[in-house]
Amino acid sequence: MKLRAQTRRPHHETIIALIDVVFFLLVFFMLIGRMEATAPFDVVPPIAQTGSDLPAGGLAISVDNDGALALGDTLVEHDALLAHVAEAITHQPDKLIRVTANGSTRLQQVLPLVAEIEALGAKEVALVVTPDPT
Amino acid sequence: MQLRQPRPLRPLISLVPLIDVMLILLVFFMVTSTFLDLDMFPTVGGNDLQTSRSEATDQVNLTPVLLRLNSNGRVTTQGRSYDVNELGEILALRLSEVPATEILLLPSPAASLQSLIDVMDRVTQVGAQNLRVIRLEARQ
Repeated sequence: MKLRAQTRRPHHETIIALIDVVFFLLVFFMLIGRMEATAPFDVVPPIAQTGSDLPAGGLAISVDNDGALALGDTLVEHDALLAHVAEAITHQPDKLIRVTANGSTRLQQVLPLVAEIEALGAKEVALVVTPDPT
Repeated sequence: MQLRQPRPLRPLISLVPLIDVMLILLVFFMVTSTFLDLDMFPTVGGNDLQTSRSEATDQVNLTPVLLRLNSNGRVTTQGRSYDVNELGEILALRLSEVPATEILLLPSPAASLQSLIDVMDRVTQVGAQNLRVIRLEARQ
């Protein structure tokens, strides 16, 4: 008598759990992360305890210690930056303009720029700070 | 004899493309997102600290307090130099007497941004309602 070997049932890996995890991670990163251009140089904003929440969006201006300026992720000259800001403000006067600079940056690199942006008619200009972790 | 009804075949929808797309999206968001927790100090508009003289100007006896932020991070007021903590104590005393005291902050161009933020932080913590940063002139 010949016994037939039992055919093995294909082992179905459940991929539902994988999809759940991937989907969870996807939603997590979509909600938590910010999709913003970063400056082409390292900027470490000053630490503050009483800053208010920074809303997303707006124009991101970065200032390096040596006075180099960046708009979003692009290095720009001073005049080109102001021209871009002026154009943006024309279309949307209350557009938030975020100025990010190192904590060690001298104020002579930052405050005159803020004053110039204000003189262009900007209504919302903010200095970006890092919340104090303690 | 009992006839078993054959089970209807389950529709086979491949989940592989779904997983592919989700993984691509996941990697995309992981790579492009930044996770910096940032706050802000409004310097123009939308900030009572900065723009308002508010009701304070209607009151009598509201001599503003002028703070000069030096390049070394210390603050000079009324001829004496203080560090940020000492300044907080002095301002707290002053604000307990006249809560709406206007505080004018004149920073040195050579001071660091961190020192300016430290002073603004401290002034805010002691409950100042009217803080104005006297801006440096724009470059010509």
